[in-house]
Amino acid sequence: MNRTRSIRRELVLWLSAGLLAAIAVAAVATYVRARDEANDIFDYQLTQMAASLTGVPLTGAPPGSTSGAEAIVVQVWDRDGIRLYLSQPRQGLPRHTQPGFDTVATDAGEWRVFSTLAAGRIVQVAQPMSVRRELAAGMALRTIVPLLAVAPFLAVLVWFGIARGLRPLERVAVAVGERSPHALLPLPEAGLPTEVRPLVHALNGLLARLDRALGAQRAFIADAAHELRSPLTAVYLQAQLAERAGNDVERAGALAELRAGLERATHLVEQLLTLAREEPGVNERPFAPVNLTELARHVIGELASIAAARRVDLGMVGSEAPAGDAIVSGDAAGLRAMLSNLVDNAVRYTPAGGRVDVTVQRDRGDAVLQVRDTGPGIPASERTRVFDRFYRVPGIGTAGAPGSGLGLAIVKRIAERHDAVIALGPGLPGAGGEGLGVTVRIPTTQATGTEPERRIAD
Amino acid sequence: MRLLLAEDDPMIGAGIQRGLKQDGFVVDWVQDGRAAEHALAENVHDLLVLDLGLPRREGLDVLRAMRGRGDARPVLIVTARDTVADRVAGLDAGADDYVVKPFELTELAARIRALLRRSAGRTQRVLAHGDIELDPVTHETRVRGEPVALSAREFALLEALLARPGAILSRAQLEDRLYGWGEEVESNAVEVHIHALRRKLGADAIRNVRGVGWMIGKVAGTQR
Repeated sequence: MNRTRSIRRELVLWLSAGLLAAIAVAAVATYVRARDEANDIFDYQLTQMAASLTGVPLTGAPPGSTSGAEAIVVQVWDRDGIRLYLSQPRQGLPRHTQPGFDTVATDAGEWRVFSTLAAGRIVQVAQPMSVRRELAAGMALRTIVPLLAVAPFLAVLVWFGIARGLRPLERVAVAVGERSPHALLPLPEAGLPTEVRPLVHALNGLLARLDRALGAQRAFIADAAHELRSPLTAVYLQAQLAERAGNDVERAGALAELRAGLERATHLVEQLLTLAREEPGVNERPFAPVNLTELARHVIGELASIAAARRVDLGMVGSEAPAGDAIVSGDAAGLRAMLSNLVDNAVRYTPAGGRVDVTVQRDRGDAVLQVRDTGPGIPASERTRVFDRFYRVPGIGTAGAPGSGLGLAIVKRIAERHDAVIALGPGLPGAGGEGLGVTVRIPTTQATGTEPERRIAD
Repeated sequence: MRLLLAEDDPMIGAGIQRGLKQDGFVVDWVQDGRAAEHALAENVHDLLVLDLGLPRREGLDVLRAMRGRGDARPVLIVTARDTVADRVAGLDAGADDYVVKPFELTELAARIRALLRRSAGRTQRVLAHGDIELDPVTHETRVRGEPVALSAREFALLEALLARPGAILSRAQLEDRLYGWGEEVESNAVEVHIHALRRKLGADAIRNVRGVGWMIGKVAGTQR
């Protein structure tokens, strides 16, 4: 049987053991003390008896009838060593000539012997030690019997007392059992014993964090479902128009629109997946040295054809800097997604004939990435909101399909993972407006391979 | 019938506009709430197709302001928000109908026709006056049961006149019904179309009130 640990059982066991030990100690102490006292009393009795015998005629039973007196052996000898009197025929008690007390071991156990010399006679009084021991043992027993009798009651009391003390835990267990992902109310903390309160308090903290995280997840899923509906509606409309098309030209046009709608839906799904992958705690890849300059060249290469198709001049500026490539410790896939989103955004929002410059520099131990465009820019009042997912700056459209509304949210998430700071400012002045310049400053910590301590999101 | 479409998504807006045009509506398309309000102020549209998630001014705010002004033109909400609470909020704010994305274009057109019919106080699909019958769904016109072939503009003009029998419509009002924004209006287009209609339906089918406009004939086409 698999025995589970029980506080109640353990406490009762330990308390019982302690109680028994205390009783044992009490018994021993009582015994020792009683024996010492019995020794004093009986020794005194022996001297008194010896003294009373020195002047009496040696006939009949010796006087005195104190407890254990019947076991007393009296012997009297004369000066020449001839025994004059023996109260009981006892073997093995030696004749003692030395006056005073002695303890003698005989075949019949230990004897306490007192001898005295008076009026030409040696009087020896002896008593078995067992008498004293029995007396002491009796005393000890009388002391512990009531304690032993009370012990089971104490155990039962402790058993119920602990049950009573632990009842709040059962209430907490019931309350926790009632919680579900849909109802993460805090547990009641009132009336809890001080031992349980820290646990419940910590649980409430966890519940609150879970509730927030679940709420964020739920909001994200609702947002995502809502956002997916738009490209799907567009696709559905285009499909219906393609069905209705009266001639090949109309049909080809509708099918081209349909394809654009599908690309848009696909892009949105990909962006959603990227964002989900960058969710804290999901699939966290270890940090490794990443060549940011090289990565930027790569991303520009990937997006060059799209930029050319939109007649946007996309290129890298200052990449021949003598300082050399900027190396950061980070997640290559994440940094690549961040760069790709920034450059893609710039290309997407820059009107035809515009320009997008990408710069990667080293500055005071940081790697600084800049993407500047000649697009419409983002008004200062909108610069914090643009990092919210699915937020699009009103009145600023793209040349083709609307963006996913997730690009900058993804950038922000990845930047946070790298302890990077993002700043939005004016870009390159051009026909479209003041342009947008995104600056990402990534600290290049020396400790490569270790992730900097992450701030706990509130 | 001339509709105002307020939809911020360029793909969806273009799709709806094209689809409704194919169904014979004149559709003007705006992409934000403020533009919708400016367009409504022109008072040339018969119905508003309204998306709720509009930039610059929320769709529901546009709707409430419209009802607050006493503008009773039918409003059809087209949105991705599909919860019961959203529908209730939309209808309570003054919408006449609610369509959730994605939807069938044919259903959207049918709902628009139903709203237009109801707002004109009619229960029948077919507009009829005297001997003239006009079916907005099949785009068929009959005089004394005989089908008459009309051009799209002629049809739209006759529909506008039949929709409000007894009312005199000015040249500007008729032009508004016939042309959307950005469409070239020829100087005497209305006269040309009226002339064609009279030729096809009968000279008395449409009456001219000099200096004011045109109305459908009192007993149009009832020749003995």
